[in-house]
Amino acid sequence: MLELLKDQFTFSVILALVIVGILNGAVAYCIYFERKISAWLQDRVGPNRVGPLGLLQPLADGGKFVLKEDIIPANVDKPLFLFAPFMALVLGFIGFAILPWGGSVDLDGDGVVDVIAQVADPGIGILYLLGIGGLAVYGVVLGGWANNNKYAYFAAMRATAQMLSYEIPMGLCILIVVLTAGQIRLEEIVLAQVGNGNIWNICLHPVAFIILLTTVFAETNRTPFDLAEAEQELIGGYHTEYGALKFGMFFLGEYAHMITGSGMVIVLFLGGWHLPWIPGLQPEDVSIGAMLLKMSVFGAKIAVFLFFFMWVRWTLPRFRFDQLMRLSWKGLMPISLALMCYTSVLVYAGKATSLAWCLGGELGVVFIVLAINAMRTAPITGRQRNMPAITVHKPAGAP
Amino acid sequence: MTPWSLLVYGTFLLGGAAVYLLLPRTDRSTRTAGAILGIGALAAAMAICGRYFLDAGGLNAVFILSATVAIASAVMVITQVKPVYSALYFILLILAMVPLLLIQNAEFLAIALIIVYAGAILVTYMFVIMLSQQNAESVYDRRAREPFTAVFAGFFTMAIIAGQLAQLPAPRILQGTLVSSAAASPIQTEPEADNTEAIGETLLAQYLIGFELAGVLLLVAMIGAIALSRKRLPVVAHAIPAKPPGQIGREVPPY
Repeated sequence: MLELLKDQFTFSVILALVIVGILNGAVAYCIYFERKISAWLQDRVGPNRVGPLGLLQPLADGGKFVLKEDIIPANVDKPLFLFAPFMALVLGFIGFAILPWGGSVDLDGDGVVDVIAQVADPGIGILYLLGIGGLAVYGVVLGGWANNNKYAYFAAMRATAQMLSYEIPMGLCILIVVLTAGQIRLEEIVLAQVGNGNIWNICLHPVAFIILLTTVFAETNRTPFDLAEAEQELIGGYHTEYGALKFGMFFLGEYAHMITGSGMVIVLFLGGWHLPWIPGLQPEDVSIGAMLLKMSVFGAKIAVFLFFFMWVRWTLPRFRFDQLMRLSWKGLMPISLALMCYTSVLVYAGKATSLAWCLGGELGVVFIVLAINAMRTAPITGRQRNMPAITVHKPAGAP
Repeated sequence: MTPWSLLVYGTFLLGGAAVYLLLPRTDRSTRTAGAILGIGALAAAMAICGRYFLDAGGLNAVFILSATVAIASAVMVITQVKPVYSALYFILLILAMVPLLLIQNAEFLAIALIIVYAGAILVTYMFVIMLSQQNAESVYDRRAREPFTAVFAGFFTMAIIAGQLAQLPAPRILQGTLVSSAAASPIQTEPEADNTEAIGETLLAQYLIGFELAGVLLLVAMIGAIALSRKRLPVVAHAIPAKPPGQIGREVPPY
C-alpha cells in the first residue's frame, strides 16, 4: 500500500478524492455556518431544529434541493440552461488541484522525500488559478443569458464587467508576490516566505494583501460585490429561474470558489501551511503526521477566511455599480500598479525581501493616496454636475 | 497524382462539402447530410495524421482526440445560428487546443491562451453579443451570405498548403512529441528549465526590444481606442436657479 502511494500520480489521485470529499462536506457546512453567523450577528438563534444545534440542517437542505420539482421554464435556452450550473460548480472545484495542502512528504521515513501533498504542481503555478478565475464567470454569464429573463440578463452583464475590472488589480497583486518570491509555483512561494526568516508576505506588502482580498471578494460575487444577485434590484439575478438542485449547484459553486480564493490568498500572503516557530510545521518536517498537521493548519486558515467572508457579508452594505467600477479602475488599479513598479525596483536593487524597504514603500503609497484624496473635491456619484441643483425650501413661517 | 495525395485532396473536398452543407440557410436544412460528411472528413483527416504517427512509432490519443474536437468546434463556430453558441464553441476550440500545446511541453502558452482568449477576450465578445441580440435571430444570422465562395476559398487554400506538407516526411515536432510522451523511451529527458522560466528568459533577455515595442504598441492602440470612442460632451454651466425671494433655502450639493 505504502509502495503504491509513493508514486506521485497515485498519491495525487487519492489526495484529490479525499480533498474533494472533505470539501464537499465543508461547502455544505459553510451554508450552515453562514446562517448561524448571520443569526449571531443579528442577535437571532438561527437554525436549531434539525439535530443537535441544528447540525443536520445541511443534510435537510440537500435533501430538499434533490426532492424539489426540477422546473425548466418554457422559454429558456435549454442546453445552456442545464449547462451553466455545472460550469459554476466544476470551475469552483478544480482550483483545489493546485493548492499546496501539506508540503513535501516522506512516506516511509527513510529520509527521502517521496511525494508532495499537492494534486498537481505544474510549472505555470499561480497562472493556473488566474486561468480558472477567468473561466469562472461563464457560469454566471451563461446562466443569466439562458434564463431569457431581463433581470438575469442584467446580472450577467454586471458579472462580466465586474470580473473584467477586478481581474486586473488581482493579477497585479499576484505579480507583486511572484516578484518578491522570484517563484511562480505555489509550493515554492510558501517556501520562499519561510526562507525569508519566517516573514510572511503580508508583513512585506500589507496594502497588496488588502487589495487582493478585495478582488477575491469581487471574483466570488460576495457582498459587498454581489451585484449580480442583488435581490432588491434584480430579484435573484442570474439564478432567478433556477430551482431545486440546479440552484443548489450555483450555491455550492459560490462556496467552493470562496474556499479556492481564500486558499490562494493564504498561499500568497499568509505562508500556506506554515506557522513560525512551531515544530512540525517547518519545511524540514516531512513525516505523514507533519503532513496532516500542515493540512489542518491550512484548513484552519481557510476557516478563518470563510468566517471573515461571512462577517463582511452580514456587516457591509452592497456597492452601487458605479461605485464598484470606480473602486477598481480609479482606486485599486493605480495603487496596485504603483506597488508593482516599486516592487520591481526593489527586486532590481536586491531589496525585495527587506522589511524596512517594502513597508516604507507601502506606507508611501498610502500617504500619496491620502494626499490625493485630501486635495480632490468630493466625487460626483449619483447626481451629475450638469443637473440642476436641488434646493430645499423651508416652509414660510418656519423658524 | 499518387493515391496518397488523392486522399489528402479528397479529405479537403469532403470537408468543404460538409461545411457548405452545414452553413445555415433559410430555404431547407441540409445539416444532417453535412454532419455525416463532416464526420467522414474528420475520420479521413485523422487517418492522414495517423500515418505520421505510425512513421514516428506510435499513436498519440491525446493529439487525435483534441485535434478532432478542435476542428469540429471550429466548424461549429461558423455554422451556428445563434451568436452566443458560436462564441461558446470558440471557447471549446481554445480549450481543445490546450492539450495540443501541453503535449509539446508549452505549458505557459497553453495557460496564456486560456487567460487571454477564454478569460478576457471572449468575455468581452459575449458582452457585445448579448447586448446586440438576446433572442430573435436576424436574417444575417439565419443565412450564410456567400457560402460557396467562402468555403471554396478557404478549403482551396488549405488543400494546397496541406497537399504540399503531405509530401514531406513526418514533421520534426510530431516526432519530438511522440518521443517525449512515450514513457519507456530512453531519449526522454527532463527539460533544463521550466517552460515558463525559459519563455521569460527568452523574452526579456534575447528579444527585449521587440517585447517592449509590442507592449508600447498595445498601449498606443489602447489610448487610440479611448480617444476615438470618447464622446465630447459640451460643458454645461452649473445652473443654479435663483432663490425665490423671501425664502430661506439650503443648497444640496451633488452627492
